[in-house]
Amino acid sequence: MQKTVKTYHKPDYILLGVIISLLIIGIVMVYSSSYIWSEYKFGDSFYYLKRQLLFATAGIFSMFFVMFIPYSTWMRYAKVILLSCFILLFLVLIPGVGMVRGGAQSWIGVGAFSVQPSEFMKLGLIIFLATFLSKNQKKITSFKEGFFPSIILIFTAFGLIMLQPDLGTGMVLVLTSMIMVFVTGARLSHFFGLATLGLIGFVGLIISAPYRISRITAFLNPWEDPLGDGFQIIQSLYAIGPGGLLGLGLGESLQKYFYLPEPQTDFIFAILGEELGFIGGSVVICLFTLMLWRGIKISLEAPDLFARLLGLGVVSMLSIQAMINISVVIGLIPVTGITLPFLSYGGSSLTLTLCSVGILLNISRYTRI
Amino acid sequence: MKRVSTVTVKKRIVTVFLFGLIFFVIINVRLGYVQFVIGDELMAKASDLWTRDIVFESERGLILDSEGEVLAENVSAPSIVVIPRQIKDPQETSEKLSKILQVETKKVYENITQNKSSVTIRPAGIKISEEQEIAIRGLDMAGVYLAKDSKRHYPNGDDLSHVLGFAGIDNQGLMGLELFYDEKLSGEKGRLSFYSDAKGRRLDSLADVYYPPKDGLNLKTTINNKVQTIMERELDLAVAKYNPDGALAIAVNPKTGGVLGMSTRPNFNPENYQQVDAKIFDRNLPIWSTYEPGSTFKIITLAAALEEGIVDLEEDEYNDSGSIKVGGAKLRCWKSGGHGHQTYLEVVQNSCNPGFVTLGQKLGEEKLFSYIRNFGFGMKTGIDLQGEGNGILFKPENVGPVELATTSFGQGVSVTPIQQVMAVAAAINGGNLYQPHIAQEWIDPRTEKTVETYEPVLKEKVISPATSKEIRHALESVVAKGTGRPAYVDGYRVGGKTGTAQKVGPNGRYLENNHIVSFIGFAPADDPEIVVYVAVDNPKGTVQFGGVVAAPIVGTIIDDSLRAMEVKPRSSGLEKEYQWPQEPKIEVPDLIGLTKDELTEYMTNLSIESSGKGDYIIDQAPKPGTKVEQGSKMRIYLSENDRENE
Repeated sequence: MQKTVKTYHKPDYILLGVIISLLIIGIVMVYSSSYIWSEYKFGDSFYYLKRQLLFATAGIFSMFFVMFIPYSTWMRYAKVILLSCFILLFLVLIPGVGMVRGGAQSWIGVGAFSVQPSEFMKLGLIIFLATFLSKNQKKITSFKEGFFPSIILIFTAFGLIMLQPDLGTGMVLVLTSMIMVFVTGARLSHFFGLATLGLIGFVGLIISAPYRISRITAFLNPWEDPLGDGFQIIQSLYAIGPGGLLGLGLGESLQKYFYLPEPQTDFIFAILGEELGFIGGSVVICLFTLMLWRGIKISLEAPDLFARLLGLGVVSMLSIQAMINISVVIGLIPVTGITLPFLSYGGSSLTLTLCSVGILLNISRYTRI
Repeated sequence: MKRVSTVTVKKRIVTVFLFGLIFFVIINVRLGYVQFVIGDELMAKASDLWTRDIVFESERGLILDSEGEVLAENVSAPSIVVIPRQIKDPQETSEKLSKILQVETKKVYENITQNKSSVTIRPAGIKISEEQEIAIRGLDMAGVYLAKDSKRHYPNGDDLSHVLGFAGIDNQGLMGLELFYDEKLSGEKGRLSFYSDAKGRRLDSLADVYYPPKDGLNLKTTINNKVQTIMERELDLAVAKYNPDGALAIAVNPKTGGVLGMSTRPNFNPENYQQVDAKIFDRNLPIWSTYEPGSTFKIITLAAALEEGIVDLEEDEYNDSGSIKVGGAKLRCWKSGGHGHQTYLEVVQNSCNPGFVTLGQKLGEEKLFSYIRNFGFGMKTGIDLQGEGNGILFKPENVGPVELATTSFGQGVSVTPIQQVMAVAAAINGGNLYQPHIAQEWIDPRTEKTVETYEPVLKEKVISPATSKEIRHALESVVAKGTGRPAYVDGYRVGGKTGTAQKVGPNGRYLENNHIVSFIGFAPADDPEIVVYVAVDNPKGTVQFGGVVAAPIVGTIIDDSLRAMEVKPRSSGLEKEYQWPQEPKIEVPDLIGLTKDELTEYMTNLSIESSGKGDYIIDQAPKPGTKVEQGSKMRIYLSENDRENE
């Protein structure tokens, strides 16, 4: 482990600005996309807005709170955190404890105060992997002592998440973890081996559940089954397509009139594209790119390997989730069911996301300039 | 184990960043592709999704006769439109509706509970009656609306039914002119487009877009409703009198090819077409039926012979012995014993078959058939109606001497009535073969201005005006002195020709005692304004002569029509040379020993009634040689056996 002189300084304000911007755009868009549905379902067009404001405020406070926790603290509690996350993941699978929403048993808790263990697992695994990999960096080139144990851990978590099932979160988790293993210095040949196995596994998954095939074909030609598998993609494209350069104007979306189901969550980017056009969409994509850049910069300048991996893990997780969500919305990849960080209406997960930014901001206070 | 350097780690972090950057660029490019490249296409599809249309039916164009009288119009008949989401009690609503519309409650229930923004109840709820309309208005049910709609009304009932045709439940043309000119008659539907949410509720924040309907154009036809009414009346009388298998009449303006009237029996009321056998409304006999024309076809042989200059009607003579030998076959004249010595004008007047055979022979196969084809036989005339027949001619390679001979007096060819009418019109109008047509003008219903006019289509110059004049003279003499006398009209110089066509039965042989009797006439002979053709299929209770059955009908139609068309009567002074009104008493011919078939085409200035059953005439009254008034009754006695053979 590296010994470095830690200089404590001001956090990365650019990153903070980017996140606050995304959060504000998100609050505006949650209201704009939800008020029709909200009014219809709860008789209160501000229902989602109020809750989003609540969780965003809680998130901001949490973010600043976490920002002041020295990142090394996370290393100390890494094992406890990981263990808790695994327990939660098991618990959510128990019928009666876990709640089913949208076809997946992903929620645990009571009513509005319920959480998704998989969300915690994403962050928990990042913290644990950063700890494990930074302590065992020397062993990472070894398949038996470095690569293989990491992979086992990652896919155990992935497997549990897929039992819910929650493919989107699972994918974010696997990709983020893989990036961390890769950056630590694992051999490329190990990755190729894994990729081969993955391909076989992919084929196996399709054979075991042929409905996944229709998900993929639906993405290639959604108009083949416009009311079935193609429905969401078509409705999403019907929102974005008419947006054009400048969009229909804020609040002017037509797709939110029950055409696009629950537009304030997974498909919020579609309504954004419809109302604010290519300009609005590009601004959001640029903000995420900026976030990635600042995160990478923090990771590069981090004082030690743990901070490097932790920061990279957090920024990778957020970026990958944004990429997957937007790609789904614009019809680039099949529907997976994942929210857009900072923008989607997300309740407790928004707070958690902001906490992870807090970790990143804390690391930015120790960077060597 | 190899230690991984910090440089490697940093390199790999930068690699991750570059991949991330590339992926964000790809996403942004794809966003641009969706919004700019396929944006318009998506916008069009999305607009369809967002908007609901209320359709505004266009008013179907009227069909008018040449003087502007209405032949087909629209009357208001609302249709029921149900908006399922607004119905409070589907069961009760469907019960009430089913009672009024007289359909099963279950069917109505299924219909009005569909997950659609609006539904119609087909066909019972489309174009409902006045009583139904009042009943529905009285109940005032939520979600049940009456949409303005109209249905087709034909003020003259079943007159002109085959020509007008009819329009279906959506005012779409299905038959006749309604079908042929459907596109222009129907116009374009309009719509009110309003935005709605996915639950079908109107979005008030967005303005509606209204596309007004474009009404159909009014079709002015060449039909003269007065002439048509006269023809319908005469066919009704003929049907009542003869109870035929069918009947048809056509009147055409020979100067343009415009159809003045056209009628078929049996006919139907277009408003009730659903209750009519398709065999009836499908068969517009004047253009659909094909049969042997019989003697009316001799006009074509005559025209060819005169045009080619191979006969002089006044000077050339022919001696009819009663039959003529052709290629080993003996072709008999309809008059037993023949007409004896005659000029060719008399050959025409007497409709003498052997005489026409000689004309055909002089012309030769090639010339005769080339004239037949030029006169338009063997192919569709191109009239603006669907379902026209072609007719059948002998194939050139099959024409031997016998075929040439029979064709020259109208046997062995098969033609449509409209072909005959157009050919005869060409023969007497100076030689111009026109395409028959019914549409005359398209009139804008609002400005009442003509937007399009159909000019007569001249297809062929078939003979010279001089030849045409000779034909008119010859055919006028047929009516004045020959077989066509019952068609004579005082004051209008009628020309014409009888025809009695044999029908071919299912076994390919001629049917016995079953003919299509016809007459084609035109007037005035000096400047023809009208050509009228009437054919009656298998008239009962009469001797089946074209002269007896069809000629008087044509005479009456021409007389009444020319008066209705205000054509000046010709002064009798010019007609002095024709003395047929003061025709002296005539001698009763000797019919004993003839068969009934041989009476066909007989000179028919006597009204013949028959007694007994059989084919052979065994006696007659008055006796042969007795002088009687023209048109007086003559009775013949029939027997199964020829008395001479006893």
